[in-house]
Amino acid sequence: MKGAWAWMLAIPPLAIALLFFVGPLLHLFWVSLHTSSQSELYGAALTLQNYGAVLTDSFYLGIIRRTLGVAALILAISLLIGYPVAYFVALQPPRRRMIVLLLLLFPLMVSNVVRAYGWVAILGRRGVLNSGLRSFGLIDAPLDLLYSTEAVVIGLMTILLPYMVISIANTLSSLDPRYEEAAQALGAGPVRTFVHVTLPLSTPGVASGMLLVFLLSLSAYVTITLLGGPRSKLLVSMVYDSVTAFQWPRAAALAFILLALALVVTALILAVLRPRRVQGMGR
Amino acid sequence: MSEEPIDVRLERVRKTFGAVVAVDDVSIDIPRGSIFSLLGPSGCGKTTTLRLIAGFEQPDRGEVTIRANKVTAVPPYRRDFSMVFQSYALFPHLSVAENVAFGLRMRRVPRHERATAVREALDLVQLGAHADRYPRQLSGGQQQRVALARAIIVKPAVLLLDEPLGALDKMLREEMQVELRSLQQRLGITAVFVTHDQEEALTLSDQVAVMRNGAIEQMGPPREIYERPRNEFVAGFLGASNFLDGTVLARDHAGAIVETAAGRIPASAEAAVGSKVRIAVRPERVRVGPAGSEGLPARIRDIVYRGPITHLYMDSAAGSLLSYQQNAGAQAWQVGDEVRCAWDAQSGVAVVAERT
Repeated sequence: MKGAWAWMLAIPPLAIALLFFVGPLLHLFWVSLHTSSQSELYGAALTLQNYGAVLTDSFYLGIIRRTLGVAALILAISLLIGYPVAYFVALQPPRRRMIVLLLLLFPLMVSNVVRAYGWVAILGRRGVLNSGLRSFGLIDAPLDLLYSTEAVVIGLMTILLPYMVISIANTLSSLDPRYEEAAQALGAGPVRTFVHVTLPLSTPGVASGMLLVFLLSLSAYVTITLLGGPRSKLLVSMVYDSVTAFQWPRAAALAFILLALALVVTALILAVLRPRRVQGMGR
Repeated sequence: MSEEPIDVRLERVRKTFGAVVAVDDVSIDIPRGSIFSLLGPSGCGKTTTLRLIAGFEQPDRGEVTIRANKVTAVPPYRRDFSMVFQSYALFPHLSVAENVAFGLRMRRVPRHERATAVREALDLVQLGAHADRYPRQLSGGQQQRVALARAIIVKPAVLLLDEPLGALDKMLREEMQVELRSLQQRLGITAVFVTHDQEEALTLSDQVAVMRNGAIEQMGPPREIYERPRNEFVAGFLGASNFLDGTVLARDHAGAIVETAAGRIPASAEAAVGSKVRIAVRPERVRVGPAGSEGLPARIRDIVYRGPITHLYMDSAAGSLLSYQQNAGAQAWQVGDEVRCAWDAQSGVAVVAERT
């Protein structure tokens, strides 16, 4: 009976998801399998050309590689910076932990566009950084910081780092301190306690943090456009470009390639970290 | 016993948390191969005392010694002990075998030696068939035994047990008590055991320390603690006791005669004639006879049948009395019966009364 009730409660959201998400997605996939048309949403003939063209074109492959590269770099940096910060946050007493987490969330309360223009003002040729370095006489000509992959990474990091920190800190602060004591009682010093016990037990937080950061970095658009400029486009920019060029089937195919990348990397992260092992039921 | 070397020594150890004195000037010597129990109600300081031995807490003053090494300033992972936690704290991401091997891995024991030792340890707790399982796939009792195997495999100078049987049901707990005791004796392990269960402490220990408010109220072998409680708290905490107030009237070779409001009772008080005393008598020592026989007059208020024994609740002029009667034959008593209560002089123990 309990199961029946749960299903009844789940029906409205399921219906909405089917109607507005799964349905359109299937339609989009259908669109991606057609030739493009000047007058219609998509042409009459079925084709795999949209996928074939993207996956054989060195321009597109370069962009896929750059997209994955940027995501990997952001993942690596946010993990390296985020884990120690999360560890520090988790050590705080509950009240102070709340305050620190709110401070970490503060940048997210500023609009994406405003924040991206903030970086433009800092990194631009006449920006704060360049004029500062020049007035100190450290450089003669302004550095080209803006409109680069590095600028995109910096811009995305500031948005995505809090997700990593919060999700790891939540896992760490809910860890039973007895686990670490048990390790110490068995002769493990601080480093080995961390490597053999704390780190593996924090994998659920690490995995969810990595997934959030990775998926959000794939779908971010404003930051990438404003800080990457025309030279550092990522896959998501190409979807937009194809749409504006009325290449609807091409845009649909790119969207599915993006989705496939997301699924593959998600599977990879889960396979490597095995967050379910902390449930104590084996792999 | 006394010739055995001392494995754990606490010397005048004190620990405060803010304004709360958790452990107050505690001194303990634990000889090799014995089980020492810290017994008391929650908040009495028994767990803090254990954590001081482990090094998870630092004493404000006093000295902790394990096997002749002063370890007061030594971090837990360099102390020669292992521990079984109340929650077991088995590492959920490791299999049973990996959990048990953990201590040897930290001691850099080679892989093949580790495998042999793990197999032996798991056989010892009868879990050889479960080596590849994971903690949550085991029952509570099995997890308990994995925790035990993980702790004994490193052959510690002292095994610390923090209410290790607290999470088990009554039947399993009694079974594990016997198992734990025989394992400890077979391996000759020195163990410190924290419990709030007086029966468990009496069953398992060579020595018991009854604690309250951070201090040790009484320390000694189980029989002595139970039969010669020093004060009212110890007498009341370890099983039930009848308390009777009176004045020492006379003494002879058998003990003392104490005058109470209900009449004269025998006791083993050492107090001088004329002094006020409080006498504790265990309910199983109280013999109940018919009116007119020797003893303290009382009237039966309530009869509670408990299977092997029957509890007789009685009222006397000196307060209420409780007697446990073996249900060996037919029971003659009825509620309202006038009876006489008697006991041997050595069963009436003078205790220090609670300040109220």
